[in-house]
Amino acid sequence: MTRNGETVKWITARRRHPLAGYVVVTLALTLFGVGYAVIAPGAERAEAQTLAAEAAAAEEQPTAEDVAEGREIYNKTCASCHGPNGEAGEGYTGPDITGEGAAAVDFQVSTGRMPSMNPDAQMPRKPPVLNQEEIDDLLAYYNAELGDPGAPGVPSSDIPGEPPKRADFEDHGAYEEALEEWEAKYEDYIEGAKNPNAGMELYLANCAHCHSWSGQGGALTGGRWAPEIGDATPLQIYEAMITGPGTMPEFSDKVITPDEKQDLIAYVKDLQAEPNAGGIFDLNRVAQVAEGFIAWTVGLTLIVACAIWITAKQRTHD
Amino acid sequence: MTRTTQAPKALRNAGNYIDDRFHLAKTGKKQLGKVFPNHWSFMLGEIALYSFIILLVTGVFLTLWFKPSMAEIVYDGAYEPMQGVTMSEAYASTLYINFEVRGGMLIRQIHHWAALIFLAAMLIHMLRVFFTGAFRKPREINWLIGIALFALAMVEGLFGYSLPDDLPSGMGVRILQGVMMALPIVGPYASMFLFGGAFPGEDIIPRLYMLHILLIPGILLALVGAHILILWHQKHTQYPGKGHTEKRVVGTPMLPAFAVKGGAFFFFVFAVITALSGFVQINPIHLFGPFTPTSITSGLQPDWYMGFMEGSLRIFPNWFDIDVAGYSIPTAVLVPGLVVPGLVFGAMALWPFVEAWISGDRRHHNVADRPRNAPVRTGMGVAGITFYGLLWMAGSNDILSETFSISLYATTWFFRITVIVGPIIGFIIAKRACLGLQRRDREQLEHGYESGTIQQLPSGEFIEVHKESSEDVVHVLESKEPVSRIDVRALDENGVEAPSSRGLMGRLRLRLAEWYTRDNVSFEGVEPHTGHHLRHGAHGEDNLSPQDREEAATT
Repeated sequence: MTRNGETVKWITARRRHPLAGYVVVTLALTLFGVGYAVIAPGAERAEAQTLAAEAAAAEEQPTAEDVAEGREIYNKTCASCHGPNGEAGEGYTGPDITGEGAAAVDFQVSTGRMPSMNPDAQMPRKPPVLNQEEIDDLLAYYNAELGDPGAPGVPSSDIPGEPPKRADFEDHGAYEEALEEWEAKYEDYIEGAKNPNAGMELYLANCAHCHSWSGQGGALTGGRWAPEIGDATPLQIYEAMITGPGTMPEFSDKVITPDEKQDLIAYVKDLQAEPNAGGIFDLNRVAQVAEGFIAWTVGLTLIVACAIWITAKQRTHD
Repeated sequence: MTRTTQAPKALRNAGNYIDDRFHLAKTGKKQLGKVFPNHWSFMLGEIALYSFIILLVTGVFLTLWFKPSMAEIVYDGAYEPMQGVTMSEAYASTLYINFEVRGGMLIRQIHHWAALIFLAAMLIHMLRVFFTGAFRKPREINWLIGIALFALAMVEGLFGYSLPDDLPSGMGVRILQGVMMALPIVGPYASMFLFGGAFPGEDIIPRLYMLHILLIPGILLALVGAHILILWHQKHTQYPGKGHTEKRVVGTPMLPAFAVKGGAFFFFVFAVITALSGFVQINPIHLFGPFTPTSITSGLQPDWYMGFMEGSLRIFPNWFDIDVAGYSIPTAVLVPGLVVPGLVFGAMALWPFVEAWISGDRRHHNVADRPRNAPVRTGMGVAGITFYGLLWMAGSNDILSETFSISLYATTWFFRITVIVGPIIGFIIAKRACLGLQRRDREQLEHGYESGTIQQLPSGEFIEVHKESSEDVVHVLESKEPVSRIDVRALDENGVEAPSSRGLMGRLRLRLAEWYTRDNVSFEGVEPHTGHHLRHGAHGEDNLSPQDREEAATT
């Protein structure tokens, strides 16, 4: 008999086994789950990876060369939707970006939301297409030729952005040095917050109703959603507040002062880093829905399985 | 040395001491030898009982430190991130239990997980009782007690969730207050009396505390006691089987077998709850932060058992809000917040009486029905589960929307439609499945079971050999009773309309009786193993034939 035939025979012999039904259900669920994982779009879940921030370069005044580089990047990646002058208009699908400000450009590009494939859809966070140097050039070009001077610019360079990435450095030593510098800056900013408790109040009053208490994000009306903010850098959170991307309201520096913003960001980052005192499984900090799900699928299921076990009769074959 | 084994002297003396005073030996022997039928589904109520015990014990532990006070203080405890935050004493003392009482966090988590398991166990226990018809005479009162227990436990859970005065607590109480305010005329007064003024006020936590640790647990305890005593007195129902009759219970005696099993089961329940509490974080109030009336967050839900009410609030449209003489009647809160749960609990409470009224069945039932043998009841149960389940899911629509990247409005409309259509489909499918199973039962009774052995007949035809079912199985299959039904013809022998069928209610009853009993696979005249044991291709049993309906109609 062929191998295949033997397998069929093996299955046939066991198809009336008391556990056969469970095995079939388990296999079907596994197949379904794995199948879904294969088919499901990966981009939305892709976690944004870091991009190099060459702090030194950012602090330097942009040169004419940077602006020229930036123009080239703009023409290649942005102009098709926002038009050659950033004003979009007739025949272009994107919005006018001249009044948005450099902070908005930095936020949209550094979180990978721009360039976007579909101007009508809300963009999820993605790995950025441009690296930090390219973003800096783009910002230089934007500031020099496209943007209104009154619009919010990229905020203070004390606010940490993405940590440096190894791939952007040829020399390992230079990378380590940049990383250390970034870490010091990050720590200064987060620990330098004067009053993270005030940050908690601000967060719970202004942010949590969309981004949720844990920063996991949440559903909004009309098919939109408030994104998870765990991956956002302090700089990106700051920029989001001053520019109000998408449906998010704008919290200018007059409404929430830079110091208060620092408190708020420190609270968000502290909460994120806070260990889960209640156990190693935090259920993604989804809370009640996940807890109810676990109570039924793990807790009660185990207990009922035990009840079946202790009341089982010795099986006599029918 | 005597040959009979005797109890150790110490035990004997103690036994004699008690017996001399209370004459308990005879009753004790009788009660301890009480027989309990053996089936896993009869253990579900026990899960609820055991988690209730765990709740009582851990609850007492928590009261030792919890301060039910809304007095504002500045936190100065061990949990560093909250230092300097203004909060209520209730929240601060919960933080104290979490971080400064040894084992406090674990006990709090056990208390919370046990609450979730308690209500879940009550629900599946209730479903078991419903689907097996164990609520029928003589057990209707115990069914009602069970429903009261479930409703009280829900309220108890809601109040417990509200006590720590953390962010979700405040939001939950806010919804409670909103639903109270929706009551026409009395709403604002009811709210004012509960809160001692405007929301949130200073009184609500001490009042909820009193309700949560004294009044409701007291009632729960009394009802649990009554529930078990009635069960003890009436004896447990059993599934059909060999030797199982309406007058004779077959099972394991209380001592030693059942007590040992029950005791072991308690420890298993405790172990599962404790393991969950040790590894899975639940209700992390220290991460939520304290409640202030300005704070609100997305992604927060009540605990699961309030989920169906949350869901009905979320999906009910505001199209029916009306103004009466300048006062608005917010039906969008009133109906989902009070009418829907009222309907769910009312329907459950009334079902035993409705069913008895429709079927005219006044007999005692100690042998449980197999769900398939009561297709309409089973269908109604499935419809109820579908309705409840969809509302429950709708309560988490924002989490579903975010997790599966579905538009929030799409989920709202999905649930609005399915919550009406779903139960109907559920009823039809469940009823058809029951009838299919009945048909299979009849065939198995007549022909035996498929043995899996294939034989070739001399003619070349292949057939599967059927074998006789065991005596036990035959008993189970034969347990299906002829469907009893009030007289549908509605005319007595003289052609006069029967009194019971007159009037609106009488006619309604006849229509319902017709609906309740119409579809049934009659087993009448079926003798075990009288059919062919060789199943031929030509031997086709058609589905519910008109003949079956006639048979049912004429009995």
